[in-house]
Amino acid sequence: MSKKNQAHGQAPATAHAPDPHAPAAHAKPHGPSTSTFITIWLTLGVLTLIEIFVPQVYSAPWNHNTKILLLIFLASAKAILVAAYFMHLKWETRWVRWIALMPAYMALFAILLMCEEYFRPLL
Amino acid sequence: MTESHSTTAAVPHDEHVGHATGGKVAMWLFIAQDGFSFGGLLLAYALLRTWSHDWPNPQHILGIKFTAVGTFDLICSSLTMVMAVAAAQRADRKALVGWLTATILGGLFFLGMQAYEYTHLVREGIGFTQGTWEGHPINPLFGTTFFVVTGFHGCHVTAGVIYLTFILFGAMKGKYTQGGLSYSPVELVGLFWHFVDLVWILVFTFIYLL
Repeated sequence: MSKKNQAHGQAPATAHAPDPHAPAAHAKPHGPSTSTFITIWLTLGVLTLIEIFVPQVYSAPWNHNTKILLLIFLASAKAILVAAYFMHLKWETRWVRWIALMPAYMALFAILLMCEEYFRPLL
Repeated sequence: MTESHSTTAAVPHDEHVGHATGGKVAMWLFIAQDGFSFGGLLLAYALLRTWSHDWPNPQHILGIKFTAVGTFDLICSSLTMVMAVAAAQRADRKALVGWLTATILGGLFFLGMQAYEYTHLVREGIGFTQGTWEGHPINPLFGTTFFVVTGFHGCHVTAGVIYLTFILFGAMKGKYTQGGLSYSPVELVGLFWHFVDLVWILVFTFIYLL
């Protein structure tokens, strides 16, 4: 997320001034261009292709954890790309981003669950 | 004057949400609470799976490559959706109608694939409360969690297709291509549709791949 977007509310609204760094520049139509959308779409396609082969490549019990971490990383990367670019979150204010991020705290429980699954056999 | 300047003039700058419309903030709040619903279901699935020692390998039962096609279809429909929003912002009615139609078709294709998958699994013995695979009983919670999580998502896709269809009718009448903030409803349906895509990315990983 760019730093300039976090400076919202610090300068007066300048709807009449086409300054790209002014808060007015955060309005929806200043989002990404068509080429950015297509780049994101292609990236999502490639990441999906990689995802299909991860369970086959990391199928042995000894690399089970690598498979889990890699798949979660790939899914998170894809979800962040969709939220940031397709949902324009990259161009929203910090408040809107926090609203969007609220359900992500549930990942803490998922991490707790994975920690227990991993460490319980060691106890 | 460009579209963007009329938009920023129409929505006063807010200290917290910038130039986001009330509708957009409301949609984000809805998406956040809907995210909790999916989060709760996925956590319940993870707990049940962790506690079970006889969980079948999803790779052996579910069609990963088949579902990957559905996943990519939803990603494609997300692309057509952003193109629809961009078309509405530049007040291009013809393009808006075209991109919205493509998005609806993408959603219907996904639902068709899901219906085919469900039919196949039920015929093979995977039920909502019981399950057999190749004649052998398997942990019934596999079918329960699979149908609850993917079914809840399927309901969202269905709702999204209906929502998009209403927006398409409005777009055909030119309601969202009149300049200013008239494109806003298209942006809102877009947010919902991308959320449905985003959730599927997680469901595909946790239910099918892991």
